[in-house]
Amino acid sequence: MIDQTNLHAVRRPIDHANGLSNAHYTDDGIYLEERDSLVFENWAGLGVEAEVPDTGDTKPVTFMGLPLMLLRDKSGVVRVFQNICRHRGMILVDAPRNIEGAIRCPYHSWCYSTEGKLVSTPHVGGPGHNTSEGIDRSTLGLIEVRSHIWLGVVWINVSGTAPAFEDANAELLARWAEFDKPAYHGGADSSFALTVNCNWKLAVENYCESYHLPWVHPGLNSYSKLEDHYNILEPGHFSGQGTYVYRQLKGDNDTVFPDFDGLGDKWNEGAEYIAAYPNVLLGVHRDHTYAIILTPEGPGKTTEHVHIFYAAPNTDEDLRKRNAAQWKEVFEEDIFVAEGMQRGRNALGFDGGRFSPVMDTATHMFHDWVAGCLLTTRTRGEAAE
Amino acid sequence: MKDLDTHLIAAHADQDGALLTALYTKAANQSDDADTQCFFLTQAYVFALEAGLPEASPLKAQLISAGRDLPTET
Repeated sequence: MIDQTNLHAVRRPIDHANGLSNAHYTDDGIYLEERDSLVFENWAGLGVEAEVPDTGDTKPVTFMGLPLMLLRDKSGVVRVFQNICRHRGMILVDAPRNIEGAIRCPYHSWCYSTEGKLVSTPHVGGPGHNTSEGIDRSTLGLIEVRSHIWLGVVWINVSGTAPAFEDANAELLARWAEFDKPAYHGGADSSFALTVNCNWKLAVENYCESYHLPWVHPGLNSYSKLEDHYNILEPGHFSGQGTYVYRQLKGDNDTVFPDFDGLGDKWNEGAEYIAAYPNVLLGVHRDHTYAIILTPEGPGKTTEHVHIFYAAPNTDEDLRKRNAAQWKEVFEEDIFVAEGMQRGRNALGFDGGRFSPVMDTATHMFHDWVAGCLLTTRTRGEAAE
Repeated sequence: MKDLDTHLIAAHADQDGALLTALYTKAANQSDDADTQCFFLTQAYVFALEAGLPEASPLKAQLISAGRDLPTET
């Protein structure tokens, strides 16, 4: 199957490049290969910090088959652990809850601190004997996954081999340095999830480009025309689009959300929408940001977790609800194309398609990144054999 | 003891960590045998630890002094 995925054709200059072939959207083996090469080896979005607001809060998250837990430890640090006991591999936390003291495995009650240390091994040496030779608690803490918080998103590098987050994403952090300041999750009315029957990459591809806007989002066309947009390209890292004509949502008496402090004039009417490879779709505006975290659930299914953030806590509830509803409508409008492209990937003889050399540069850049990562890991695998 | 068993089963069903700690501590105190006592103390300690109860520290200290546990590394 791997021979059928012509990655070199993807990496050609855009005017004669092909897109990724069907198998990259439908094949179980390639899905796992891409999981390891694209998602686990890079900084991927897992969730948002606001999902564990209080110390001791924990939430289990299954991410591409990997059982993980988000946890805010007793000192307030958000951590990500593999959600298994080091004894028999039992799942530790099966529902969101607050850890008041320690995490107790429901199987044999080995206990872990919120910092992941193994603190109790009851009866491990026999009834009433809680130590045993060979069971060194200091070496049996929870398996922690490297994590980093930025723009309210919890980013993880499962392999542990990526450069530090700040280095891996230096260009994006520099581009949006003005937004690197406290942001406040809008709460329950500012998050929603959409489950889409498509491969996760199709959600990225659609998000990157503005080419589809006049056709798929005609409502935007009244004020945000195609020519008001520009491409954003950072090879190997991210791509997307920007607009020159962002209009703030207004409530009664023309109330608006407060602006983030210290933004330059560019953002008065500017907004940018970037796919941070592999799986986080971000949007920034003068008065709110959002993150869409794509959770792949198999080759043909993805859940989009949407979270909206504001420059201040306690923003106007009605306005927040309208903003969330407005974005939800836009994102829902994209579902039929993502699902349509997914169904189209069952066609015979499809060569991965072609790209507009002008309008699809951001999408091709993502394909090129995918192909580059896969070729690197395939070459590494061959060298190891 | 039968009454205590009944209470323990109910406390397990309710996942009541504080009550489990108290009942297992009571069971330990009613026992003359060191192994049985330390078994119950361990049960009490684990539920106190999970619930973040102040009883966890003295229970752990009892187990350490009985040679049944080690200080928690920090």
